[in-house]
Amino acid sequence: MGHRETSFLGICLLALILLSGIAAAAEPNLPAEAIECLGCHGQKGVNYALQNGETLEAYVDRNKYQASMHGSLSCTACHGEFSAKDHPERKFKSRELYALKASQVCHQCHPDEMISKVPVHASLLKSGNKAPVCSGCHNPHEITAITAGKKHSNEKDYCLGCHRHSMGIKLRNGESVSLKVDSAALDGSVHAKLACFDCHFGFSGTQHPKRNFNSPRDFSIAQAEACRRCHFDKYTKTLESIHYSVLSQGNLNAPVCTDCHGAHSVAQARADKVKSSQRCGRCHQDIFGTYTRSVHGNALLQEHNLDVPICADCHTAHTIQGAHTQDYREKVPEICGRCHGDAVLMKKYGLYAGVVNSYLSDFHGITLKFYRKQKDASPESSRKSIATCIDCHGIHDITKTSGPATNMVKSRLVKRCEKCHAGAAGSFPDAWLSHYEPSLTNAPLVFLINLTYKLFIPFMLVGLILQILLHVWRYAVNR
Amino acid sequence: MTAHALIKRFGFGRILEHQANAIVFTLLVITGLAQRFHEYRVSHWITLTLGGVDTMRVVHRYSGLLFACLILVHIVTGIYGVIIKRWPAAMMININDFRNAIENMKYYFGINSHPALCDRYDYKQKFEYWGVIAGGFLMISTGLILWFPVDVARVLPGEFIPAAKAAHSNEALLAFLVIVTWHIYNSVFSPEVFPLDTAIFTGKISRERMIHEHPVELARIENVPVEELIKHNGHGHSASGESGGH
Repeated sequence: MGHRETSFLGICLLALILLSGIAAAAEPNLPAEAIECLGCHGQKGVNYALQNGETLEAYVDRNKYQASMHGSLSCTACHGEFSAKDHPERKFKSRELYALKASQVCHQCHPDEMISKVPVHASLLKSGNKAPVCSGCHNPHEITAITAGKKHSNEKDYCLGCHRHSMGIKLRNGESVSLKVDSAALDGSVHAKLACFDCHFGFSGTQHPKRNFNSPRDFSIAQAEACRRCHFDKYTKTLESIHYSVLSQGNLNAPVCTDCHGAHSVAQARADKVKSSQRCGRCHQDIFGTYTRSVHGNALLQEHNLDVPICADCHTAHTIQGAHTQDYREKVPEICGRCHGDAVLMKKYGLYAGVVNSYLSDFHGITLKFYRKQKDASPESSRKSIATCIDCHGIHDITKTSGPATNMVKSRLVKRCEKCHAGAAGSFPDAWLSHYEPSLTNAPLVFLINLTYKLFIPFMLVGLILQILLHVWRYAVNR
Repeated sequence: MTAHALIKRFGFGRILEHQANAIVFTLLVITGLAQRFHEYRVSHWITLTLGGVDTMRVVHRYSGLLFACLILVHIVTGIYGVIIKRWPAAMMININDFRNAIENMKYYFGINSHPALCDRYDYKQKFEYWGVIAGGFLMISTGLILWFPVDVARVLPGEFIPAAKAAHSNEALLAFLVIVTWHIYNSVFSPEVFPLDTAIFTGKISRERMIHEHPVELARIENVPVEELIKHNGHGHSASGESGGH
């Protein structure tokens, strides 16, 4: 704590000095010398050619300069060799070398001992020659008071003191990553009450280690590991998912926690079904497009109907499996059946909840049921690809079965039959009774056969048992 | 001739036929009903033990084929025997079977003093026999429809396939229930044969049981009037009850 207090004292002192500067800058006019320099440098297009061909912009925004912490300083305070009379010719090899040279000036007022009290400066200074120069983070003509002399009530405020400003770092591959945190989003997130270092291990008011990542994606993937500290159950589930398996095979585009849940804006993933499905659509654009046109997606997005399934309802959120596997195919009737076997829910939409049972009690449904038992007993057991709901009704493009889609569903049925039953055109597909319960009007032959046996089996059985009882009774009487 | 003497009832061919049928029937029932009663754990156990539903179906289909062969051989043998070898067509149903059934009812209710006087096969046996033949034909034909549904659908409407499935499955249940109640009672638990009617294993039956169950046939064998056989042996359950297991 002593260390922090000292750093606060230092910052307060600095703020006092700077505040007195602001008082001077409040005057409508800049120092006379600055007005003279801005005569040229206040106009856009004042550029300076460097030896390596780069250009250095020598333009200074008058208003921003006036409003900055340095607004009260005259230009020569930093650019000591220049004056209204003297404008020496300077030669620099590159922008980088220029910035390095220019930043040395900063140390005149901001010596290392003072700035190293800020952890991020301390860690940067430690890295020696590779340290970024001051102007890399602080635009010298637009410099603002990052801490503004405020006392920090907590660690989060302390971090946000810098990180609420636009800032970024360049990573090894040359890409920059923004380090700005949207504090409003953070406050609105489910993690509003967490401290920064709950996720950003190793960082605190006194510690600001330097991290070295190759790319922004590497950084995101590494940072997402922080989630497992609290959400270990979800984390272990993701280890079984196709996303993790793709990631571990080297495809860094596979999503990690933060890709779906966001980082500082993390919210309850289930809270918004529309957003949840759209998140999947960010990568799975084609499928999402198909889904939005389906009966389910259309109802969700156009009518905001929350009864319909979103991606995660069928594919799950964390344990997402490859959808083209035999295992997943065998789960389909159960997945569809969760809603389509629910009589109350189906009644709401005028749909028949018996469709699931009519499938499950038919040849293919029974086969599937046995297959699932076989899979449980030995996952490698050989199973054929069995026709399920999706083969006729579609997957992401599920439509209503009434109206113009009827013929499409039927043509899919014929196609699916032919996959296993060669030459199954003609009347063969009629063997499937299209989910209808047999009745006098629909499949009367099946209905009558079932009815006959329903009456005949008990009749026969009761008759035979009565005969047996009579026989036993007569034997007992005769004895 | 004493009551305990054994009379030959079945030849080797009939015994073999019964045993083959029993094995094939058991196989068919196990592999078939496990599919009908797919929700039960015992069905899952059977399926997994047999190496999965696909293997089970193969076993079921070839057992069915074997059953069809047995039926075919039986019918060919029967026709050949009756026509060429002049075997008596003892399994044919005639008016006496219905009379016997009524008389036996009267006996059970105490109206008649003795059971019906039956010939070589009584009406209960004929009922079972023709049940197997008729049911067998139904099972074989519907089974073939289910085995080759695509070919069937070329000539018949598609609805015949679920109809065949309904008939096959229901008839199987009926056959199974008749066997486990009626046949098992009559050949195992009936007080007259308990603990087991050995006739189909040894091919022999006691003279005492013949007097009680097939007096008309015995009278023909021994060339005496039926009435004499009954009178002599005090025809009734009390006497025959002791003969079980001989």
